[in-house]
Amino acid sequence: MTDSARSRILDSIRQASRRADDDTIERELQALGSAPTADLPAPELSTAFLANVLKNQGSIDCVANRSGVVKALAEYLYRHFRSHRLVAGNDPNLAAMPWREAGVLPRFGSVEPGEPVTLSYALLGVAEIGAIVTLTGKANPAANNLLSEHHIVVVDSTRLVRDMEAAWKIIATESARTGRPRGINFIAGPSSTADIEGKLVYGAHGPRNWHVIMMGDLPATTVAEAHALAGR
Amino acid sequence: MKQTSNTFLDNAHVALQDADKAQRRDIMALFTPLVRNAAMESFGHFEALRAHVKQVKQHSLEHLDHYLARFEQEALHNGNHVHFAADGEQMNSIVLEICQQHSARHVAKGKSMVTEETGLNDYLKRAGIRVMETDLGEYIIQQAGETPSHIVGPALHKSAAEVRDLFLAKHDLGDRELAETSDMVREAREVLREHFLKAEVGIIGANALIAENGYSMLVTNEGNGDLCANLPNVLIVCTTIDRVLPRAEDATATLRLLVRSATGQAQTCYTSFYSGPRREQDIDGPLETHIVLLDNRRSEILASDYKEMLQCIRCGACLNHCPIYAGVGGHAYGWVYPGPMGSILTPLLTSLEQSNALPNACTTCGRCAEVCPADIPLPDLLRDLRHEESERKLSPARWRLGLQLHAWLACHPRLYRALTGLGIFILYLLGRRKGSFKHLPLAAGWTSERDFPAPAGKTFMQQYAAQQRADKTREHKQATPVKRAPKPGRVSGRGTPVGRGSSGRTSAGRTSAGRIEPSMGEGWQHEAGPASPGTIRDSGKISGGSKDSGGKAAAKKPKAHPGGPRGKKPRRRKDHD
Ligand code: SF4
Repeated sequence: MTDSARSRILDSIRQASRRADDDTIERELQALGSAPTADLPAPELSTAFLANVLKNQGSIDCVANRSGVVKALAEYLYRHFRSHRLVAGNDPNLAAMPWREAGVLPRFGSVEPGEPVTLSYALLGVAEIGAIVTLTGKANPAANNLLSEHHIVVVDSTRLVRDMEAAWKIIATESARTGRPRGINFIAGPSSTADIEGKLVYGAHGPRNWHVIMMGDLPATTVAEAHALAGR
Repeated sequence: MKQTSNTFLDNAHVALQDADKAQRRDIMALFTPLVRNAAMESFGHFEALRAHVKQVKQHSLEHLDHYLARFEQEALHNGNHVHFAADGEQMNSIVLEICQQHSARHVAKGKSMVTEETGLNDYLKRAGIRVMETDLGEYIIQQAGETPSHIVGPALHKSAAEVRDLFLAKHDLGDRELAETSDMVREAREVLREHFLKAEVGIIGANALIAENGYSMLVTNEGNGDLCANLPNVLIVCTTIDRVLPRAEDATATLRLLVRSATGQAQTCYTSFYSGPRREQDIDGPLETHIVLLDNRRSEILASDYKEMLQCIRCGACLNHCPIYAGVGGHAYGWVYPGPMGSILTPLLTSLEQSNALPNACTTCGRCAEVCPADIPLPDLLRDLRHEESERKLSPARWRLGLQLHAWLACHPRLYRALTGLGIFILYLLGRRKGSFKHLPLAAGWTSERDFPAPAGKTFMQQYAAQQRADKTREHKQATPVKRAPKPGRVSGRGTPVGRGSSGRTSAGRTSAGRIEPSMGEGWQHEAGPASPGTIRDSGKISGGSKDSGGKAAAKKPKAHPGGPRGKKPRRRKDHD
């Protein structure tokens, strides 16, 4: 059934399409140029990224190095859960964290029901939209982005890109190297819904809280500037 | 879904009786444009982005054969099963077959207007499969046994109190208050989480398909679509052939417009791209993935003069800005797609016979076209559908007669001016004391709701001619050059493009077929003179026009409409504007 449907549909589309060879089509496409992107709230990528994360209702931390990451994690976990447990994907970047320094006890793998906190290591941070990008796989099971109450993401400041176009270039290079990932996830905020009377509520199906820890050699004023720009 | 589009007027009447719902619609109609406008303003490059995305979309549609073939090839390469469905019935049976192959009892479904179009839920239910909508809005209306009233916020017609009562009745969870919206959201989350974990099959839609890499884009705020795409062992993407875009960057460029237009956000919480089944190293994700590509007359639309409608990105902005939609709500439209986009899509996807009331559900205010991120000339397409209705004698005979009379009159300018002048003068005499009319023959539709202001005594053309004469006399007397009054063609409100710059399309002909007293309306409202090209077009009689842009639109041939009997080859328009 679908074979005959396929040929019928493709036939009628062919009749309605403009005849051109592949090269001409590609040339026409290139001639369309590129899309305008959103302006950044600040000239520095890191400040712009963090300001947009805040606008997307995320929370932020800024640390200098991996020791800073585990310390910030420990504080976050203690503040919210009085515990030091979390679930992280099998990402070599996360495995190499000095966990003992802060007494954090990660379990590496996919989140199970009842485990409230997950940790991801972002492939990229996109300043234009305040989003982090993860690729599904062993290093970052998709469930870890979606099934916890708190999703924490570590972003290396050297992995920030300006806009989605720049993100695609890196993703394409990565895909060419390791094969196309099953899923590419741009995450920009805690899960939310406004389906009842248009009222915004966080924690619809996915995490209620989304926390971004930026790691890098950044000016001490970055976080304050981001808060000022986001107005929160 | 049973279609009731043809009883639009009755449906609308019923909708207007519910004062509470009408008030909520009013609030939404104020609020949603505000958030959209704020988002576009802070973005700052709306026009440039819209122009770019439109060009990309038009390019994709012009070469859809190329891009669809490329998408199929890449999707197969990614490990998907790709299916083509000619109509809704085929899509439903393909999905059912996949479910049965996996002995699925539970399906978790993300929001998908395409499956609303095909009636998939009922189809699967009849085969004994439990389908659970997981988008909160869709879940609410599924529990209530209703249909979506909005393509983005399907349950926005329901009050929080109604949702509370619904949840208390449907969820067997004992005594509880559910006082706050957040309590209801939490409860739905818990109930649905169980279903996610139980479902053998997940079904989602796609906001775009990317030809260069075979990925599909899924845009949500709740994350429910991603749970459907990642937790069950089988994933089915139900989408349509017109969603294909050339490159990944085209999908995200479209996203920039989509989110701002739909919800006023700068970015949705979850924007995901899925390529296929779980890879060797993966520890989660579906083991088998299917993509079902529905045509359902879209290839006919592609070949017709309504193909611009395929540029639609389903943002809902035209609904949010439409005074008719705000007045009567989505259910009055009687099928899946409401508002301006629905009034065009419904006749095209079903038939004009089944929905000929919808193209008239338009005040021709043009707000939809101004905000449409896909730059679809919605009022023009609606007008063309009305024109077809008239040609095919689908509109009421007295409407057609009224339009024919008007067309005839409009082609006799002297008579037109004389009669409108006389009419206006009589109205002036009759109404000058009170300043307005409570009742007027042939205008009951107007006067039943509001007073009709009495005209000032002279038509615009009479005043204009008098002004010209006065100018000339003054010129003569002063014997020095004075600034000339604008030319008549420029004064006309009718030949003005509907906020559409250089498109060449005009608002000419936007006279609703519902107006059966056109000469009086013309004479009083604009008094721009006869031969309004639009009026001529709506009459279905005369295809000529004046030399201005309105005339150009008037000269345009009617659009070929694919909503006629199946198999009927749509005509292609030969002239281009
Ligand atoms: S017609 Fe335009 S405004 Fe309406 S839903 Fe489609 S893209 Fe949005």
